Amino acid sequence: MPLSKIQTSEMLDTPNHGRRNLIINGAMRFAQRATTAAVDATGYKTVDRFLMNIHSDFNSKSTMTKNLDSLTPPDYFNDYVGLKIDTATTASGDVYFNFRQQIEAKNISHLKFGTSSAKTLTVSFWVRSTLTGNFSFTLRNGPSDRSFVTTYNISAANTWEKKTITIAGDTTGNWTIDNGVGLTVNFGHGSSQGTYSTSTLNQWQSGSKTGATGSVKMVETVNSKWYITGLQVEVGDTDTDFEHLSYGEEQTLCQRYFWRQFINGANVIYDRVYWNGAGQNSIHDFPAPAGMRINAATVTCSPTTNGTSVTFTYHQHGTISIYRATANGDNYIYAQDLSINAEL
Amino acid sequence: MYKLINEVLDADKKVISPAMIKRTTDSSFIPKSKDNPDYQEYLKWVEAGNKPTAAD
Repeated sequence: MPLSKIQTSEMLDTPNHGRRNLIINGAMRFAQRATTAAVDATGYKTVDRFLMNIHSDFNSKSTMTKNLDSLTPPDYFNDYVGLKIDTATTASGDVYFNFRQQIEAKNISHLKFGTSSAKTLTVSFWVRSTLTGNFSFTLRNGPSDRSFVTTYNISAANTWEKKTITIAGDTTGNWTIDNGVGLTVNFGHGSSQGTYSTSTLNQWQSGSKTGATGSVKMVETVNSKWYITGLQVEVGDTDTDFEHLSYGEEQTLCQRYFWRQFINGANVIYDRVYWNGAGQNSIHDFPAPAGMRINAATVTCSPTTNGTSVTFTYHQHGTISIYRATANGDNYIYAQDLSINAEL
Repeated sequence: MYKLINEVLDADKKVISPAMIKRTTDSSFIPKSKDNPDYQEYLKWVEAGNKPTAAD
């Protein structure tokens, strides 16, 4: 076989080599916390790695649901996530209602942002809404003082549309490469006025901006909905097919940031000792994922029982230590819902 | 909403359980670390004038 048949010029294009998507869980497959939740405040609600970042004016006014309304997803996808406005709220002043993924800085260091060698990125996604018009999209750096704001247009209501946005890398600004936030990929739905909005589009600028002036504010329309899947951010000026990872790979990537063990009605941790005398201490280690983003992760354990002198500590080498100052007699701990939060 | 948990040392003064914050609403154990977003949220809560429950 001629060499040209094996190694074509197309195959030499950078986008065709290796792992491409900087987004984790872009196909919205994993939702360890819940599949539906009220957006009661800023926080991670349903699909892994996607943060709802909202002003308190919008607390408990919307719902976030994996596979909202059981729609047929776009071709080659099985899942999506949807936002629904349950109570309309006027967006006035310096407010915001954002759906975003914060990419860890260690995962974008190769982009060389903040230098003259900054690489171009292409963002692609499938989106659908009950509303039409120009919606806000932003890339922002970790320290939140550099923003690139643009819009994408949804031309037909209730129809999946694929959008592609190409953005030249930022050649200035402070772009960190630690385990904090490196690049925020933001979809704005309520900040088209006030401090967080801008009419300066399609170029990098100073400040934290998450909305294009005059863009759609779905927070103001009761029962409005917005759905997304297939989010991909890749190096280069060309959008390639969505990179579908194996289930296990994607799960592992998600679990660097959040891990949960929950089997309805079953103990995921059970530990019991009987002491003849008070004042004894015990430490037992249970397995947990190694290499989560931070060693100082929060451990949430429910229910726990027997006494107040119990603590849970995560260790990046892959354990949870349970310390207990025991009381005289029977001492036991159990948990049916155990999670470790190392999110950004 | 939050309760303080003291550090525990062994006889050799080694830490066997670090000082941390317990979020009582969901039984979360939050290390005192600037890297931890839950701890940052706790600090904002304190800055707003709230006080945690003292350690036992």
